[in-house]
Amino acid sequence: MLDFVLNLLIFFIITAVFVKELGIDVARHGGAAGGPATGKDTGSISVVVKQSGEILVDNRVVDVRAVRANVERLHAQKPEWGVMVTADQSAETGLLVQVIDQVRQGGVENVSFGTSSR
Amino acid sequence: MRSRRHVDHTGEEHGIDLAPMLDFVLNLLIFFIITTSFVREAGITVSRPEAVTAVQEASGNILIAIRPNGEVWMDRRQVDLREVRPLIERLHIERPEDTVIVIADKSAKTGLLAQVMDEVALGGIKEVAVGAGSTGGQ
Repeated sequence: MLDFVLNLLIFFIITAVFVKELGIDVARHGGAAGGPATGKDTGSISVVVKQSGEILVDNRVVDVRAVRANVERLHAQKPEWGVMVTADQSAETGLLVQVIDQVRQGGVENVSFGTSSR
Repeated sequence: MRSRRHVDHTGEEHGIDLAPMLDFVLNLLIFFIITTSFVREAGITVSRPEAVTAVQEASGNILIAIRPNGEVWMDRRQVDLREVRPLIERLHIERPEDTVIVIADKSAKTGLLAQVMDEVALGGIKEVAVGAGSTGGQ
């Protein structure tokens, strides 16, 4: 029994270090502390999330599921560009994360996120 | 057929008394079980946005949760948005390698998410991730 308990103890000590959270890395642009995440010398692909839930990629209204394809296409044209996702202050986070997820699926890791002030 | 302990010269002794050690080990075990499940939790569960590209954050162990109604939870209590910065500053001094994961509810406003992320950045932690759940493929 003592062996069993000690094994359990060792198991918990080890797992305690390895408990990891899932998340996506997003930089901030604008705001109080954030600078431009994408280099100033290069441009960036603009993705806008409106309050109504409309999504604009490169100033064209697209569906959430079409963001990936659009980003892929634009990324192929300008491989060095990052993506700037600008969301309305009152847009929902779920949609924003979906959009960022789509962008990352589209092959762009350099994603920054900002909110539009009106 | 007597065990070796019985033939010891003390006669009455039956080896080491394991009871105190067992107590100690069990206490340690309970301690670890408790700390693993509660360590640096935000204190509430939110319905996380789902992302296919979510990755495991290597050292993301300060969790900040944002509820749909705009409440910010950190370290198992509700905090004001203005409290986030000093709290992060303190945690950053204690363990500089820690990073922050902001877990915003699906229906939380992005404006608040941005504000919280800014406060964290002003508090000195530049590595901020947005919490997401894994969908396990679409």
